[in-house]
Amino acid sequence: MIEIKNAKKSFGKNEILHDVSIQVNKGDVIVILGPSGSGKTTLLRCINFLEKADAGTLTIGEQTVDLKKASSKEILEIRRKTAFVFQNYSLFHNKTALENVMEGLITARHVPYADAKKKAEDTLAWVGLLAKKDAYPCQLSGGQQQRVGIARAVVLDPEVILFDEPTSALDPELVGETLAVIKSVAERGITMIVVTHEMSFAQDVASKVVFMDGGFIVEEGTPAEIFRHPKEERTKQFLARIISAENMYYI
Amino acid sequence: MVDLFDWDRFFTNIPQIVAYLPVTFKIVFYATLFGVILALLVAVIRIKKIPILHQVAGIYVSFMRGTPMLVQLLVVFYGIPIVMQQLFNINVNRWDKIIFVYITYILNQGAFLSEIFRCSILAIPTGQLEAAYSVGLTQFQAFRRIILPQAVRVAVPSFGSDFIGLFQNTSLAFLIGVVDIMGRAKTIGTATKHVLEAYVFIAIFFIIISLLVKGAFYLLDKKLAYGR
Amino acid sequence: MGFNFIYFYDSVRSGIEYLPNTFELTFIPILVGLCLGILIAVIRVYRIPFFAPLLAVLITLYQGIPLVVALMIYHLLFMAAFNNFAAVLHLSISMADINTIWIGIFALSLHATCYMEESIKGAFFSVDQGQYEAGYSVGLTRLQTLRRIIIPQVIPVALPMLTNNIVGTIKGSSIVMVIGITEVLAGSVIPASKTYAFFEGYIAAALIYWIFTILVEKFAMRIEKRGDKYRRNLV
Repeated sequence: MIEIKNAKKSFGKNEILHDVSIQVNKGDVIVILGPSGSGKTTLLRCINFLEKADAGTLTIGEQTVDLKKASSKEILEIRRKTAFVFQNYSLFHNKTALENVMEGLITARHVPYADAKKKAEDTLAWVGLLAKKDAYPCQLSGGQQQRVGIARAVVLDPEVILFDEPTSALDPELVGETLAVIKSVAERGITMIVVTHEMSFAQDVASKVVFMDGGFIVEEGTPAEIFRHPKEERTKQFLARIISAENMYYI
Repeated sequence: MVDLFDWDRFFTNIPQIVAYLPVTFKIVFYATLFGVILALLVAVIRIKKIPILHQVAGIYVSFMRGTPMLVQLLVVFYGIPIVMQQLFNINVNRWDKIIFVYITYILNQGAFLSEIFRCSILAIPTGQLEAAYSVGLTQFQAFRRIILPQAVRVAVPSFGSDFIGLFQNTSLAFLIGVVDIMGRAKTIGTATKHVLEAYVFIAIFFIIISLLVKGAFYLLDKKLAYGR
Repeated sequence: MGFNFIYFYDSVRSGIEYLPNTFELTFIPILVGLCLGILIAVIRVYRIPFFAPLLAVLITLYQGIPLVVALMIYHLLFMAAFNNFAAVLHLSISMADINTIWIGIFALSLHATCYMEESIKGAFFSVDQGQYEAGYSVGLTRLQTLRRIIIPQVIPVALPMLTNNIVGTIKGSSIVMVIGITEVLAGSVIPASKTYAFFEGYIAAALIYWIFTILVEKFAMRIEKRGDKYRRNLV
């Protein structure tokens, strides 16, 4: 189980997170929705300590750490239980696809080289990119890079994978293949927290949808509850805007 | 008309000058080896903004970049004996003059290379560091395995031109009386009253060195291309 | 022994007295380097047959020669050949009439040309090829495209590199001391010939050069900022 309690974060005078708490059960797929600037990406980055929150606690399994005062040892332990998929992929430019997937296994987990290689190749095959294992990131398309990024996260068997808008930097025709891979990650029963604007993905895959606005969690519930019967006015307005925009896109 | 240039003299000069090439190579070797170590130290101090040391390093780099190499050499040559005498009561009059050259060139390279390293490290996008942290690497592992290899790649072209510059700058060492290839040319001039051939040969030598270094760094640059 | 501030002050004053010579030794080469550098860079960017490859080879080779070696060679040639040369041309001037500072200016100009040409050429190549095509596509001539589209984009890229070249020329000008020209460096140690305060003299010279190059860099930074503003306004 993963739990975030009373997370707070501001940049200067700009308060990004006001007292946010979320509980995630094992195997859950949480989709966080919300307009830009609502704090959803910041929340995700605080969980992986890419940002340091101003207050709050994080529990992963047995371990509870303070989001502000965690020691560098605790931060490392949390990072080794979690994995992150970046909006702009952030593959290591100096390493091939295979080396990217192996890096965490070898350097952080001290898995023997042969085992790490085997496991990394299996994972690359699973995202359909074994043929590209020796390609450098700049030789791959955006969709391929993001699939390697997903493999790099999955291979670590983390307790949770954090997805930060994994498809928003992709060309429209590449979104589908990437979402399909993310769906199959969910089907493996891996706990996931996904920040995205893809409504149909949220509807199909999410076990819980969280709607954030202005640094608050406005509403949370099953996809059916949030999409069909939103309770809060702000959720309704947001969904109306997004859905009409999506419809226009399909026309 | 006086005979200004003579091929016979040109060729007889060559072995006499070549014998002093090790002096030039030694200056380049020490300046690069210790210069790189000093530069890494200075670059880390400036990137991590370590208090006091950070300001001192800033002034040091600015001085080395803002004053001529020749002036630095002369300041070290006349300054170190005074400093050593005053602070440690050590008489350095018997030191080989080449020591002052080593000190100057190490200090000079330390400053210039630290700027090259600092800019190369800062040129790596922060996303790379975040990605390294996200797969569980420590700060040191992330620096050594992800940031440094990419920074080296960025630094290679600037390092190459700096290296050529270092070679050329060794031609100033004879001005404090060090006998390197330039110093030898000067003594040939005093002995025979003909020095043009020697300088022309030295010019050719430096041209060849610059072409070789350029070629080597071009190959290195291609080898580190990471698929680009 | 020790640091004598009175001697130091004398050296600073003596060094400053010779600043005009250093100005002459830097500004003329910078001007020459800029004009020739632009000309050669354009020839190489447009791949003018014969001249482009010839100049490329010449510049690559000449860049390999250290300034002090070039200075020595020009000085020797001048000393040995000038009077004969003048006699052949029936010129009524002799070596004594020519200030040796011109040898320094000549050598520094050639070096400045090589380095500035590299900077300008690099800046030209940083402009996207599509910009030329876009210029032609709206009916501009080659020259119009160069003047109105390309050069405004080349300048902001070239400026920081040219600043480096200018600072390099200022520092390089100290080397002319070896052929007996008195500028800031040699000027600063004139008092030391009586007092033997060479250390104070060279520190004084370092200080003058340091302030000079910092001022040049500050000034260049202000121009670069103005260029940036212009670029941002365009967006």
